[in-house]
Amino acid sequence: MRTGIIDSANLNGGQQLAVKYFSVALVLFLAQMLFGLLAAIQFVQPDFLYNVLDFNVNRMVHINAMVVWMLYGFVGAVYWLLEEESGTRVVGLAVGNLAFWVLTVAVAVVVVVYLLVQTGPGNDLTRWFVNEGREYLEAPRWADLGIVAVLGVFFYNVAATFSKGRWSGIAGVLTLDLVALAGLYCAGMFYLTNITADQYWWWWVIHLWVEATWEVLVGCIMAWGLMHVLGVRRRIVETWLYIEVALMFGSGILGLGHHYFWIGTPDYWFSIGGFFSALEPIPLVAMVVHSVYDAGVHKLRNGNHPALAWIIAHTFGNFLGAGVWGFMHTLPQINLYTHGTQWTASHGHLAFFGAYATINIAFFYIAMQTWRGNIWLGSGLAGDGWKWKGALALLNLGVIGMTVALLIAGYEQSFIERAVEGSTWGGYFAAQMHPWFQQAMAWRLVFGAVTLAGVVLLVWDLLTIGVGETRRAPQFAAEAG
Amino acid sequence: MIEPVAPEDFPRVFAAAAATVLGGAGYAGLFAWARLRNRRLWLVGAYMCYTASAAAMLLLARIAHLNGAWQGVVVLMLVGYLLAPHGIWHLCAASHRLERSSRAPPGD
Repeated sequence: MRTGIIDSANLNGGQQLAVKYFSVALVLFLAQMLFGLLAAIQFVQPDFLYNVLDFNVNRMVHINAMVVWMLYGFVGAVYWLLEEESGTRVVGLAVGNLAFWVLTVAVAVVVVVYLLVQTGPGNDLTRWFVNEGREYLEAPRWADLGIVAVLGVFFYNVAATFSKGRWSGIAGVLTLDLVALAGLYCAGMFYLTNITADQYWWWWVIHLWVEATWEVLVGCIMAWGLMHVLGVRRRIVETWLYIEVALMFGSGILGLGHHYFWIGTPDYWFSIGGFFSALEPIPLVAMVVHSVYDAGVHKLRNGNHPALAWIIAHTFGNFLGAGVWGFMHTLPQINLYTHGTQWTASHGHLAFFGAYATINIAFFYIAMQTWRGNIWLGSGLAGDGWKWKGALALLNLGVIGMTVALLIAGYEQSFIERAVEGSTWGGYFAAQMHPWFQQAMAWRLVFGAVTLAGVVLLVWDLLTIGVGETRRAPQFAAEAG
Repeated sequence: MIEPVAPEDFPRVFAAAAATVLGGAGYAGLFAWARLRNRRLWLVGAYMCYTASAAAMLLLARIAHLNGAWQGVVVLMLVGYLLAPHGIWHLCAASHRLERSSRAPPGD
C-alpha cells in the first residue's frame, strides 16, 4: 500500500462518506470565522457594510454555520468509526450518501437565502421559506424538516449497521443518543404565540439538544478516539462512558432549569435550576481526573500527536468553557445581571470551542492519518510539526483572548446596563457606548483575527501533514476489545 | 424570592464562583496525580486546593445571599466535591486493574 499520499482506497465505505462530511465541516468552519469577523468589525465600526451585509445577518450566519459544522463533524466522526466498531459494512450507505448531498445542497440554499432575503414582514411564508425567527435556530421550517429527515437516515444507517454487525457499549449509547438527537430538535419546530411557552420549548433545543445529546455524542466519539489514539482498553472507556453519561444526564436535564429563570416560569425553577446547575461541573471534573490518570498510565505515547493534543485541548476546554465559565454566572442571584449580556457570548465562545470544535479537529487528524495510509504522525514530523502546533496555539490563544475580551465587556454591561441603569433601554445604550465595552470589543476583533489565522493554518496543515511520510503508525483499535 | 448580589460585590462574586470550580479541579487533578505517583506531598497540595475551593464557595454563599435552602446546596456541593475524586479514583483504579501491565502502547 502506498503511504503518505491521500488515497481513498485506504478507507472503508463509511470513512469515504465521513471525509465528505469533514470536508464540508471545514468549509463551514471557515465561513463561521469569516462572518464572525465581519460581525466583530461591525461592533467596532457600525457603518461597515451597512445595508449591504448587516450585523444581524452576519451574526446569524456565524452562529448557524457553527451549529451546522459541528453537526457535520459529529456525523462524519460516527460514520468514520461505524465499520470498525460494528465489524461490518455500513448498511444503507447509498441512502447515507444521498442524505449527505441533500443536506449540503439545503445548507447552501439556506445560506444564500440568509444573505439575500432578510427584510420584510414576518409571516407564515417567511417562517417556512426564509427564517423561523428563533435565535440560534433560524433555519426555515422546510430546512428544519430536512435536518430531521437526514438525521433519521443517519440513525437508520447507524442502528441497522450495529444490528447487522456487533453491538458494543459505545454502539448502544450512541444509538440511543441519536434518537434524542433527532427527537429533541423537533421541540424547536412549533410556533407558540405565548412568548414564555415559546421560549420554554426553544430552551429544550438549546440546552437539552446541545448540552445533553451533543455531550453524550461527544462522549462516544471521545471514547472511540481514546482507544484509537492512546490504545486505552475498551473496558475502561466504556466504564467511563456510562458514568459520564449518567452524570451528564443527572445534572444536565434538571440543570436546564437555569435557563428558565427569566422567562416567567414559577419560582421553584430558581432552586431546581440553581441546584442542578451547581452539579454540572462534576462530570467535567471527573473527566479531568480520568484524563490525568490515563495520561499517567499510558505516558502519552502515541503515533498521532496532533489528534492527542486536540483531545487534551477538548478535556480542558470543556471543563473551563462549560464548567468554570458556566458556573460563574449560572446562579440566579448572579444571572439576574448577566443573562443575555456578553457574559453569555464569553461562555458560549469557550464552551463551544472547548467542548465540540476541539474533538472534531482531533477527528480530522485521525481521518487524515488513515486517508494517507495509516502513516506516522508522532514525533519527528517534517518541520517539527510547526503547522499543527502553530494552529493549535493560534486557535487556543484566539478563542481564549476573545473569551476574556467578551468577559470584560460582559462585566461592564452587567454593571452599567443591569445594575446601575436597571435594565432600561437607556441603560443598554449607556453600556454599549462605554469605553470599556468598546475597547473590549476591539480586543475581541484582534483575537478573532488570530483565531481566523489559526483556522487557515489548520486547513493548510490538514492538506499537507504527512506528505511523503513512510513510517507507519501503531494500530490500537483492533486489539482494544 | 432571591436577593440579588450587591453591585459593588460583582468582581468578588464572579471570582469566587470561578475559584470554586478551579479549586475543585485542582483538588481532583492533584489528588489523582498524587495517588498515581504515590506522592504524599501532592496530596497535601490537593487538600490545600480543596480548602481554597471551600473558602471560595463560602465567600460566594455570603455575597450572593445564598440563604435558606441555598445553604443546603452549598453544603451538598462541598461534600460532593470532597468525595467525588475519591470515588472517581476507585473507579479509575478498578477499571485499569484488568489492563495488562506488559501491554504498554508503542510510540514515542
